[in-house]
Amino acid sequence: MIEKKEVRTDVQLVELARGNPESFGLLMERYQGPLFHYIRRLTQLQPDDIQDLLQEIFIKIYQNLNAYDSHLKFSSWAYRIAHNHIIDYFRKVSARPQTNALEDYEWNKIIQSSINLEKKLVNKDCVVRIIACIQELPMKYQEVFILRFVEEKEYEEIMDILQKPKGSIATLIARGRKMLVSKLKAKNINCLPS
Amino acid sequence: MNNLIQDTLNKIKKEHIAPEPRWKFLLRKSGIWLLVSLAVFFGATAISIVYFLLSQLDWDLYRFMHKNSIMYFFSIVPYFWIIFLGIIVIGAFFGVRKTETGYRLSWLKIIFVISLIVIIIGFIISAIGLDRHLNNAMIAEVPFYAQNIATMEKQWMQPEQGFLAGTISTVSNDEIILKDLDTLTWNVHLDEKTLVRPTVSLEQGQMIKIIGNEDGEQKFSATEIRPWVGQRAKGLKQGGGRMNGR
Repeated sequence: MIEKKEVRTDVQLVELARGNPESFGLLMERYQGPLFHYIRRLTQLQPDDIQDLLQEIFIKIYQNLNAYDSHLKFSSWAYRIAHNHIIDYFRKVSARPQTNALEDYEWNKIIQSSINLEKKLVNKDCVVRIIACIQELPMKYQEVFILRFVEEKEYEEIMDILQKPKGSIATLIARGRKMLVSKLKAKNINCLPS
Repeated sequence: MNNLIQDTLNKIKKEHIAPEPRWKFLLRKSGIWLLVSLAVFFGATAISIVYFLLSQLDWDLYRFMHKNSIMYFFSIVPYFWIIFLGIIVIGAFFGVRKTETGYRLSWLKIIFVISLIVIIIGFIISAIGLDRHLNNAMIAEVPFYAQNIATMEKQWMQPEQGFLAGTISTVSNDEIILKDLDTLTWNVHLDEKTLVRPTVSLEQGQMIKIIGNEDGEQKFSATEIRPWVGQRAKGLKQGGGRMNGR
C-alpha cells in the first residue's frame, strides 16, 4: 500500500512553526540547501562558517515568524533575511565579500545570460578572463546577477529580497551587463563566439 | 547538514528562543505609519502657511521697488516653511520606504502621492483657517520667525521705501490723517494725480494701503491708494491688527 504523504505549503508550515519549534525543522529542511548555496555564492566562506551563518539566519527567521506576511513568498522573505544577515556579518567583521565562490556551471550561467551568449563557451582561458571581469564588478551587480541568472529568481522575487523597486532591479541588471561589456572591450577580450 | 537542523532546534529549545510576539511587529508597523501621517500633516500645514503668506502679499510691488519680478519673488519666498516642507516630504518618503511594502514603489510615485496628499490636506487646513492661526502663533512666540518672514504688514510698513498702511482717522479734500499699523499718526497728502482704486472708500475707520513718498517726519504724499482687501486680510484685521514688528 502506498502511503500518501501530505505536502504542506510554506505558509502552512510557518503557521505550525509559530506554535511548535519541531515544525520549524520542516521549513529548515526545505530551505537549508537553497540558503546554504545562496550564502556560498555571495561569500567566500568555508562550509563550516556558512553553516554557522545559516544557523544564525534560521534562528532569525524563527524569531521573526510573526512578522511574516503571507502575501509575500516565504522563500523571498527567507532570502531577504539571509541577504540582510550577510550584509550585517560583513559589516561586523569590517570586510566586504570581494569575489564569489561559484561553481563552474554557475559562472557559465552568469556569463551566458549577462552577455547574451547562445552557445556555451568552451575556451577555458576565455572563461577565466570573463570571470575576472565579473569579479571586478561592484558587489551589488554581482548579487543581482546571482539572483537572476544562477538562482533564476523572477524580478518580483529579487525586488522582495533586496527590497528595491522592480525598476531598480531592472536597472541594476542592465547597468551590470553594460559595465561587464565595457570591461571586456577595455581588456580586449575577443574570444567570444560571434 | 541534518546536524544543522537538529543543532538549531536544540539551540532554540535550550536557549528558550521563541518567535517575537505579533504585537511587537504591529506596534512597529503602526509606529512607522503614525510618523508618516504626522509628517504629512505637518507638511500640509507648512504648504497651507506658504500659500497664506504668499496670497496676502501684493505681487506687483516690484515695479515700485525698482526690482525685477524674479528678484522680488526671491525676496518674499517663505524659505523657512519651504525648507521645513522639503525636510518633511523627505522624512515621509523614507518613512514610506520603511513600511513593509514601501520598497516596491518607485521614489517618483511615493513623492507624487505624498505631495498630492499634502496639497489636499493643506487645502483643507487653509479652508478652515488654521494656517492663519498657526502663522500668528509662530509670529507671537518665535522672534526669529517673526523677523525672517515676509508678511503683508511688513511689506506695507516701509514708509522710507514708499509703502504705508493703516486706518483712516479723518479725511479732508487733499489730506488723510492715518493711524499706521504701529499706531503712529501720519498726514497723507493727496493730489489730482493720486490714483484711488475704485474699491477704496475713503472713510473714517477704513484700512488702506498707500504707495507714495515719505516727505518728512510722519508726512507722506500718496500716488496710489489701495484697499486693505481680501478675506485673509480681513481675518488679520479681526485677529488683532499688526502681527509683527518692523
